[in-house]
Amino acid sequence: MSKSIVCACEDVSIEDIDHAVAKGYSDVESVKRYTGFGTGMCQGKSCLGAVARHLAQSGALPPGRLVPFTPRPPVYPTELSALATAPVDESQPPIGSTPASLGYSFHALRPEAPVPERAKIVIIGGGIMGLALAHNLGRLGERDIVVLEKGYLCAGASGRNGGGVRMQWGTPTNIQLAKRSIELMKGFAKDLGINIWLRQGGYLFLAKSKAIAERLEQSVKLHNEHGVSTQLLTPDAAREVVPALSMKDVVVAAYNEEDGVIFPWPFLWGYAQSCQRQGIQVETFTSVTGFEVSGGRVRKVKTDRGDIACDTAVISAGAWSPSIARLAGVELPNEPHRHEILATEPLKPFVSPLVSVLDSGLYFSQSMRGEIVGGMGDPREPVGLNLGSTLRFLSRFSRALLEQIPAAGQVKVLRQWAGCYDVTPDNNPILGRTPGIPNLIQMSGFVGHGFMMAPAVAERTAAWMAGDNGDELFTRFNLERFRSGRLERETMIIG
Amino acid sequence: MRRIRPPQGEEVTIELDGEAIPAREGEPVAAALLAAGEKVFSRSIKYHRPRGPFCMSAACCHCLMRVDGVPDVHTCRTPVRAGMRLERQNAYPTAKVDVFESIDWLFPRGLDYHQMFAGVPVAQKVMLQVARHLAGLGVLPEKAVGQRLACETLRVPVAVVGGGAAGSAAAQALHEGGAPFVLFEREEVLGGRLVSAAPDPGAPEAPDPEAWRGSVRLRAPVIGLYDDAEGRYLAATQDGPEGPRLVKCYAEKFLVATGTHAAMVPFEGNDLPGVFAARAAALLLRRQGLLVGDALALVGWGPDLYSTAKLAEEGGARVAALVDMRRKPEAAGDVAFQGEPLRAHGRSHVTALTFRPEGGRARKVSCDAILVAAPPSPAFELARQGGARVAFSQEHEVFVVEAGPDGKTHASDLWVAGELAGPRSSRESGESGRRAARSLLGKAA
Repeated sequence: MSKSIVCACEDVSIEDIDHAVAKGYSDVESVKRYTGFGTGMCQGKSCLGAVARHLAQSGALPPGRLVPFTPRPPVYPTELSALATAPVDESQPPIGSTPASLGYSFHALRPEAPVPERAKIVIIGGGIMGLALAHNLGRLGERDIVVLEKGYLCAGASGRNGGGVRMQWGTPTNIQLAKRSIELMKGFAKDLGINIWLRQGGYLFLAKSKAIAERLEQSVKLHNEHGVSTQLLTPDAAREVVPALSMKDVVVAAYNEEDGVIFPWPFLWGYAQSCQRQGIQVETFTSVTGFEVSGGRVRKVKTDRGDIACDTAVISAGAWSPSIARLAGVELPNEPHRHEILATEPLKPFVSPLVSVLDSGLYFSQSMRGEIVGGMGDPREPVGLNLGSTLRFLSRFSRALLEQIPAAGQVKVLRQWAGCYDVTPDNNPILGRTPGIPNLIQMSGFVGHGFMMAPAVAERTAAWMAGDNGDELFTRFNLERFRSGRLERETMIIG
Repeated sequence: MRRIRPPQGEEVTIELDGEAIPAREGEPVAAALLAAGEKVFSRSIKYHRPRGPFCMSAACCHCLMRVDGVPDVHTCRTPVRAGMRLERQNAYPTAKVDVFESIDWLFPRGLDYHQMFAGVPVAQKVMLQVARHLAGLGVLPEKAVGQRLACETLRVPVAVVGGGAAGSAAAQALHEGGAPFVLFEREEVLGGRLVSAAPDPGAPEAPDPEAWRGSVRLRAPVIGLYDDAEGRYLAATQDGPEGPRLVKCYAEKFLVATGTHAAMVPFEGNDLPGVFAARAAALLLRRQGLLVGDALALVGWGPDLYSTAKLAEEGGARVAALVDMRRKPEAAGDVAFQGEPLRAHGRSHVTALTFRPEGGRARKVSCDAILVAAPPSPAFELARQGGARVAFSQEHEVFVVEAGPDGKTHASDLWVAGELAGPRSSRESGESGRRAARSLLGKAA
């Protein structure tokens, strides 16, 4: 009983807060993520004030840098059954975004010291791709690297996704990348000293229409050919995997028990901590404002904390990549699309796999803490960097989820948020050199699935950058392909 | 815990973990259980620490129970109905004696689950399985619920959120100004701290909304300030006999007076059953006629500390200690000190408080409840969602909404009033509500 509790919902003690600060997670958003405070039933109502007061008193953060974490709707826990009644006009695009974007918080937290004047490699974007790449380059002996992140670690899509990792892909290349990624995730805690809570409860895909069922059948065949033991299941067999699941209208299911979910945040921190141990600089709250390009080469990366001269620049900024590339005069074909997601109250485990209805894009799983975490893409979502939430999503998701789990009607939603998919014309990433600016490396366009691909992609990108030029991945997925028309479409995209 | 006023409502029986408990129809379930002598309501998610009601306003997690087969229900906001079935959650074999409490003793200072056993092959596997087993709070509901009532859509010139001192004064001013409005209030009564907290000097009368009662939605928490093609709107859930009904309320202007949340103050054992937010204890006393203890220790700072002590004494309690964490108490009796709370004692309920008076040695006093009276945290969520700015106030040590003297925020259609901009008396809150309403109507203050 010796603890002083600051967050009763998640059992976070004052010592836990101090420990997070000592680890370098001192801004409010990062303390929240590292300790879990403010993520439970009350969503910060009884703890945020106490934590802020403690951070101010202990000198961990000057008062001017105390910015509250973003209060997400619903303000009070709200039943899925009530949310499902919000009217939705499926013929119209989703309009709206809450909380209103203020954009001052990152500015308040920007470090005062300038960035280094020179680095061999500058990586733009401190999400999972950029951090994993820096870690891998470091392992190969290259440590003169600066990683630039405009927010806190986990501020972008890497910190906003549902944590699903799967081998069930639609092309041999992606299947191989995913297999390697999951292998690396299994060894992540041993390798990097942080738990990512990989729980291999499988992915269960459901098909409700004949066309989708056929696609699923073909993809299972492909998986089996490439060493992934996905099984086609009848609706009855699928119900045995998750007894609470309704199989109404389900034609067929595909299940691979090696797929699973991980806890997204420590996955980033593990790579970031490895970078720091290796002497690689990870600069958060630092925005890229431009490039100095001359003679067909990037000479400098400009930031709001000064310019960095470099030999190579990498763009791994997810949905922000096209706007960053544009600063160097490069047009990327990627487009940002908002994808909304939510978490419910924590429930005792009753869903083991990540379940996805391929027809609607509905997906959900149960997190380590027991929350149902899930989302569903909106086919009418317009292009744009929108990180706000809508009631429309809550309604669409609630209806779709209750179709699959009718008993969840009185389960309450605690929090909704959104991230941006980084969508390319063929649903495959953009990797490799930029035509005309060979020292500008592209590493984006993962269409909402980069999180699970990062370990394998970063491993191969680092090897390729270090001189292994034979890797076909960097011609297969280069920017040039959109001009030459060699497109190979990935169809197993969900969300 | 004892009743100091005869309870209202019909005598009924409710069931807690299979045992019959006497209660009064309509009173909050948590109040009925406290009056019946129940102490441990729940077990916490990670360490299985015993918990009893803390905030009495559905803004913490201490009083959650399974109610009629539905998990994680705030018993402080659920009215008693005859025959209702309550179950404590997240405990084995029972919440009173929970073997998983051992986790609390194993990790006396907290734990870093990110690094715990990381990379230790067998330990890691076991940890994953144990964590999975212990995850979650409640169990999935027993059965599907029927279709809810269709979403109701309202369109009004002005929407007011919160019917406390500020919100109801604003509503009165809007009414007088002839502006149609709808006011959403979470509670079953208007008045907020005017009817629930310890009275402060110069407090106005509780509102009499006779003339504008038709504009008030009670038991209707607002869950978000959204926008869509038709404009900005509040989403709320109207509680009723048929369950929650979603309400969308489009408005041209929004006046947010959502008040505050009870804040935790860290000291050892600060989450034990018997530790209450001061305003929760006041609410139980004023609204339910329940005195949370006979010998009270009060800790914190600010006006609530003293007004709650006075209210409790008037209710028949003895103040065993009053610990002001910021300054020397004005009327320093032999129980009032400036100092720091160190530890709440007790296994499953408060039995004593240890505190250290400024410059002195630690003292331990027996008590059967501890009231925490730090300045409550402004409930800025909705205002921030709507585009108001929020900053940390060094003076008040809380996050406050940035607003002009008339309550106008950075968002052009959003005003705030009351304690959202920082602690203030209920009289000042009422005045700020009136000023905001006049500003919103385009009138000079």
